[in-house]
Order: sequence, then C-alpha cells, then structure tokens
Amino acid sequence: MTHLSLSNVSKKFVETFAVKDFNLAVERGEFVSFLGPSGCGKTTTLRMIAGFEAPTAGKVILDDVDVTSKAPNQRNVGMVFQSYALFPNMTVAQNIGFGLRIHRESEAAIKQRVSEMLALIHLEKRGSNYPHQLSGGQQQRVALARALAIHPQVLLLDEPLSALDAKIRVSLRAEIRSIQRALGITAIYVTHDQEEALSISDRIVVMNAGAIEQVGTPFEIYNFPQTAFVANFVGTLNTAEAEVIDPSKGLIRMDAVQLESDSPEIKSGQKGEKITIAIRPERLHFLSEGKRANVFECKIENITFLGSVVRVQVSVGNVKFNNDTFNNPFLELPKIGEKTQITCARDAVLVLKN
Amino acid sequence: MADPTQADSPGQPLVRSFLPTDLLVWLGVLPFFLFAILFILWPSSSLVVGSFQDIQGHFTFKNIVDLFTPSILNSYLLSIQISLVTAVAGTLFGFMLAYAAVLGGLPRWVRTAVMTLCGVAANFAGVPLAFAFVATLGRTGIFTASLRDAFHFDIYQHGFNLYSFGGLALTYLYFQFPLMVLIIAPSLDGLRREWREASENLGASTWQYWRHIALPILLPSLLGTMILLFGNAFGAYATAYALTGGFLNLITIEVGNQISGNVLYNPNLGLALALGMIVVMSVSIGLYTWLQRRTARWLR
Amino acid sequence: MRKINLWAWLWIILGGLYFFGPLYGALDFSMREKRGILSFVAYENVLKDPNFRDSFTYSTLIALATITVGLILIVSTAYWVHLRLPQARPIVDFITLLPFVVPAIVLVDGFIQIYSGPPFALTDTPQGTNVLLMFGYIVTAMPYMYRSVDAGLRAVDVRTLTEAGQSLGAGWITILFRVILPNIRTALLSGAFLTFAIVIGEYTFASLLARPAFGPYMVLLGQDRAYEPAALSIMSFALTWAAMMLIQFLGRGAPGQGQVAGAH
Repeated sequence: MTHLSLSNVSKKFVETFAVKDFNLAVERGEFVSFLGPSGCGKTTTLRMIAGFEAPTAGKVILDDVDVTSKAPNQRNVGMVFQSYALFPNMTVAQNIGFGLRIHRESEAAIKQRVSEMLALIHLEKRGSNYPHQLSGGQQQRVALARALAIHPQVLLLDEPLSALDAKIRVSLRAEIRSIQRALGITAIYVTHDQEEALSISDRIVVMNAGAIEQVGTPFEIYNFPQTAFVANFVGTLNTAEAEVIDPSKGLIRMDAVQLESDSPEIKSGQKGEKITIAIRPERLHFLSEGKRANVFECKIENITFLGSVVRVQVSVGNVKFNNDTFNNPFLELPKIGEKTQITCARDAVLVLKN
Repeated sequence: MADPTQADSPGQPLVRSFLPTDLLVWLGVLPFFLFAILFILWPSSSLVVGSFQDIQGHFTFKNIVDLFTPSILNSYLLSIQISLVTAVAGTLFGFMLAYAAVLGGLPRWVRTAVMTLCGVAANFAGVPLAFAFVATLGRTGIFTASLRDAFHFDIYQHGFNLYSFGGLALTYLYFQFPLMVLIIAPSLDGLRREWREASENLGASTWQYWRHIALPILLPSLLGTMILLFGNAFGAYATAYALTGGFLNLITIEVGNQISGNVLYNPNLGLALALGMIVVMSVSIGLYTWLQRRTARWLR
Repeated sequence: MRKINLWAWLWIILGGLYFFGPLYGALDFSMREKRGILSFVAYENVLKDPNFRDSFTYSTLIALATITVGLILIVSTAYWVHLRLPQARPIVDFITLLPFVVPAIVLVDGFIQIYSGPPFALTDTPQGTNVLLMFGYIVTAMPYMYRSVDAGLRAVDVRTLTEAGQSLGAGWITILFRVILPNIRTALLSGAFLTFAIVIGEYTFASLLARPAFGPYMVLLGQDRAYEPAALSIMSFALTWAAMMLIQFLGRGAPGQGQVAGAH
C-alpha cells in the first residue's frame, strides 16, 4: 500500500533543474534512503516533501491527500536536520514538547508524551538540560524525539549523522533504525554516505544530477548496479574498457586477455561492440586450484592495509585492478613486483550502461 | 578560534624565553593599568571625595543634600526620561529596520546600504547633528518653512518645538536607532534558518516562531543594546548643548554649568552631580545584569 | 512573500527619510544665505574664517596625537594580553568598556578635580591642558580602538605567528614590526579613522578644558550665525562619511571591524 508518493516532481532554480521528473512510491513503514553526491537534488527532494520548497511541477501525495501546495506547518511531517536545529532557548523537554504545545495539547498530555520520548531516546534524566549542555549525539537524539513527538505521518532525516564522530554515527544509525522499526513509521533518509545508506535502508534511491539513477534494495544496489554512476558511487569498483567477441558465449576481450561473463548485456550485444565492464575488488581472488574461466597473469603493484581488508593493486596487461581480501593473522601476502595469477567468477563481471 | 586560555595550560611553555617569571609578565600591561588608574579610575573616584567637600576643601554633606532639591531631581528625571524614551524608541525602530534589511527578503544591496548609512549616522552626532536638525526643523528650518509656505501650517503653532523634550528626543534618535541596527544585525544573522524550519515543521506559524523562539533568543542582545543606547543618551552633552543652548535642564547640562562656571559656579556640587550620574548608570547596569540573567538562562 | 517585502520596504524607506531628511535640510539651508538664489556663500565664509582654520588645525593635531599615543598603548597591551596574559583579558575588556559607563562630562569633571591643582597643575599651561585633553580623548576612543585592534589580533592568531617568528630567529622588535603590525594594518587604520571621527568634532572635553578646538568653535558659530552652522554641519557630515567609507573600504573581508563611535 503506497503511503507517500512523488509523481513527476521537478524543481527548477532559475534555469537549472535541481530535481527533474522524480517518481517514487514509498510503502507504509518503509525506510528509504536518498543517496548521492552533494548537489544531486536529494535534499531538495526531501525539502519538497516537508514543504520548504515548492515543486515547479509534479505532485506529492501523502496518505491519499495531495499535499503539494500545503504550507510546512500544515503538513504532519517530522523532520530531523543535519545541524540538529534544537531551539537553544528551550530545555530538552521544552524542545520535545514544542510541537504538542503548538497543537494546544493539554499540559498533562504533553508531559506524558515528552517522558515517553525521553525514554525512547534513553535521555530520561536530561529533560531539564539545555541543548548546549548535551553532546552532539545526544542533541540529535533529542531532535529525533522532537520530530517524533507530534506523531508525524512521515519522518524525514536530512543527513542527520554527518556532523557527528564516526563511532557515534554508527551506533546512532542503528538506534534510528530500531526506533523507526519499533514505531513502524515511514522514513526518508538523505545521505551522501553509501555505507550508511546500505546499512540502514529498506530501499535506496541513488540520485545524480537531479535524476534517479537506480532504485533498489541495498543488496540490489551493491551487487547489481545498473549504471556506471551507481557502480562507482556505491562501493569501490574496478572498471575497464572491453570489446564483445562472442555474444552467445559471453566472451569479451579486455586489453590482451579474454574474459567470460554471464551478463545479459553481452548476450544481447553485438560482436565487436565496445562496452565498460566492472568487477568488485572482493570478487577477485589470487590463484586457484585447477583450470577454470577467467584466470589472468598479473603483477603485484602495491599493497595497502585497510584494517579489516587488505587491498592489493595488480596490473593485468595495461589494466590496473584492485583486489580486496579479508584480513586475518595467517594471511599470506604476495610481494610487490611478484608475478602471480588472479581470477574471478563469470558472474562477477558486470557490464555498465553508460 | 581556540580558547587562548586553554593553550596556556601549565607545563606547556609557549613563548617563555623572554622574561623569567610570571610576575614580570604583568609588567607588559603596567602602562595600560597605570593609564586606566590615572585617567579613568582615579578621576571617577575623586568625584566621591570632592562631592563631600566644600570649595575650601572642608568635609560637608551639603552637596549630597543639594542633589535632592527639586530642580536637580528634575534634571535627573528629565535625563532619565529622554534616555529611556530614545533607548526604547531607538530599539524598536532600529530592530524593525535591521529586520527589514537582514531578513526582509530585499536585494543584497539594500542591506549593504543600510549598514553603511547606519555606520555614518551613528557617528554623526554632537554639534553638527544639532545644526542639521535646526536647519531642518528649527523655527526657520527648511521643513518648517515649506509647511508654512505651502499649507499655512506652522508646526510650532501645533505643539512641536525642536528645542524641547520631543525635539531633543527626535535628534537623539538620529544616532540611537542606527546604533541599534549595527549591533543587532549580526544577531539577526545568527538566527539559523533551521530554527525557523524546525518550528514550521512542528506546526508553528510565523508569529509563534517569533514569540517562542526568535524573540527569546534575541532578547539578551536586545536588552544589552538598549542599555547601551540608554547610556549613550544619558551621557550626551554636546548635542543637547548645541541644540538648546543649555536651556533644557538635562543633568549633563547642569554638570557643565556647575564646572564651567557661568552663573552657577560650584565645582563641588558639579562633582556630586557627576557622582549621581555614575550611580544612575550603575543602577541601570545592575538592572540590566539582573534581566540578562533571567532572559539568558539558557546561555550558561 | 510579497506582503513581507512591502512591509520591509516600508521600514527601509522610513529609515532613509530619517537619515536623509536632516541632511537635505542642512544642505538646502546652508545655500540660502543670499536671498532668492542658491549659493555657496556660507561655505566661503566658513573657509575664510581664520578661527575655522585654527580650530580645525588644532583638533587635527590633537587627533593625530591621540591616535599615535592611543595606538601605542592599546596595541602593546592587546598584543601582550593575546600572547602572554590571556588571564588578564577579562579585566582589560572590562576597563576598556568603562568609558561607556562613565560619561565624558563626568570624566572631565574628575580630570579638573585632580589635575588642575597641585601637584600636577596640568591646566596651568596650554601644553599641560593639551596633554590632558589628549588623554581624555584616548579614554573616549579606547572602547572602539581596543575592539578594532583586538578583532584584528584575533583574526591573525598572534601566538602562532610570534612562535613562527621566534623559531626563525627573529627578535621582539622584528616580530612586532615585520610580522604582527603588517597583519593587523587594517584594524589599526580602522581604529585610527574612527578615533579621528570622534575627536575632530568633540565638544565636551574641549569646552570644559577651554581649549580652542573645532567643537567649541562650531558651537560659538552656531550662536552667532544662521547659515554657516548648516554649512559646517554638511562639511562635518562629509568628513564622517569619508572616514566611515575608508574604514569600510579597508575592512572588506576583514571580520569584526566595529564602526560605531560616539561623542555625543
């Protein structure tokens, strides 16, 4: 059942489109992320849902009601801002209760709801503190509680974690996700951090230059990127130019070596067609027992230790690939300059649409 | 910028090669403190001593007692009134103007122009300002004359008088409201857009946003500026003297009369009058501090 | 949105009228000395008056002395506080704000009380009174001067610059004159122009210390003549305007440059 839908929404600033023909249907209780680089239109889209920007064209429909031209204070939409935007002159409890006070709830009801919310964000004892007395992570939790206190139909989060430290970011995003699940509230989450989007979302909308590149589950977005932009933006990726040799067998040539791929784009392609292929670093493996498809001679160029993974840069002819291997104390690393063999499965070779 | 006191934590020698001990470090500010003592603190405190002396230097309470004669009390009252009126009016008008220039959604050049003109107007005070008002709104001033010539309407026949309380207040406002604009504009800039959006998002109207968020946040700086405007008007002497020729019975004029020795030469009474001014300023600053504590509880 | 714009324009226009009204009045009035025609006679009269030249020169000299002595005192103090005595900042800040609390007329009263009699007897000679006047003006201008210099020093991170200079082998004098001062040039000039604007037309100190300065000259002229004061008003305004424009021109991009003064 569609809860929130945006149809053909566009936003034009002077002569340029910040958002163009945006179409999306969000289910009730779904957690959807807008992912993309800065300036891709993700925040503008979010602000159109909140009512801070009026779309140049298109419709925003929430619970079967067209809210496109409603003022922000007439929509029942909760928003969490990147900079927390807590009111500095109010205590934590007053901040959380502000929306209810505006809606003229009774003092008793406000008090009740505020203490519920404080319990939800585990800040029961901080109700009478002022925002500047809290840490960044605590402030953002208060902002979340303030947005949720008014029982919004949708929760909007505009890069809520990007002002926080790395560790708090990870724990708070898990907290946001579990609160959202517990309340069953529909949430739209804007971020430029692919790891964040992958870990928190039911679905991801990858955006670029005001348009949607791909919509899918984190699994689909990561494993089956449909465009070069998505493949490059989400995770790291080896890309190379190649040429189709035999579409029926999935045979292609990359520089001096031949590869086999399961990609449907090759099957439906023409012999001699130029394509761009992509291989995730973790899908490359050093040497393997026995003869199988896609084994190439390579030379070790560089080794970088990244913590949980070790990244080895190799050259296959003129093409440079990154290989990621999970780190463990017994890992036997090759030496720089050494010649060895590298391999990847047929289904690891993706073809990117340009 | 980092707090400099933090960088100076003990055991972290920074620039420590020039002078040996901490006591000597204070020598660097000795000239300044000497200057402050000689030309601010001593002159101010000498008022206390002189106020209790007669012209021969004998101890007396007469000067202090004289402060409570009706004419002198009226001078204080008049000065306090005009300072209060121009501070409040200057705050209101200056705030509206700053609001219009900063948040009114006008082109950028309007703001630049307003800030520049206010910078000039806040500094264009004293004698020349009084002359400009005389030339405009005096008995033969341009505005007065053109109204009389064009409409046979004489503002002086209808209660207006530049050389009175109202006229002086109008003149003081010329430097009062621009000062307000200059000081409050950065605070208006400091109102973050997200606060407004967050309040709208929670259902608040524009009025509710100002009532619950923007005004409470601005209140400490509004009060602070108002006290500055009050002091600004309370100590003003040149403008009033040049405008009214010393006939309006302000306390500054009274002090001037007592010490410059025209008819009323009594320097010791002058000192007592000045002491009274310091008392008034101290009381108003105390009042301000108290208000500031109440309105800015969330700051600390 | 449109409604807000109209409302905003209304206040801007009101402010503009208040600002330009008296200026227009003074300008118009100053040109009416000759009946029936507009002329610059009043301006000529003022400029021809030897008392004008003398008092203006006197005030300019006093202003220059105030700027020189005041800047030396304030820059050295502010620099030292930034570098070595951050714990003295609150008290220095407080002292520099005192002139706001103690009106000029009160201060000059105290000056006369202390310095007119023995042992100082400064008011017995013109030179002594001039020195006293200069110190009075330093006090008056101090809040503005200190704020300007302090903002300048804040913006350049004196501590690091000084340490960098020391590590390169420079001595105190070299650091101050080759590194610090050039970096706060804008702040120094702003402070100087602001001080000039304050001192040039100041009346209270000059009149009560009975010095032949420009402020008392203007008041005297105001009592005797009709059109010349308006001309003087316009000329003073032009001077204030020029000082403020210079400050603004210098202060482009430099943060925290105050431009509020006052000698009312």
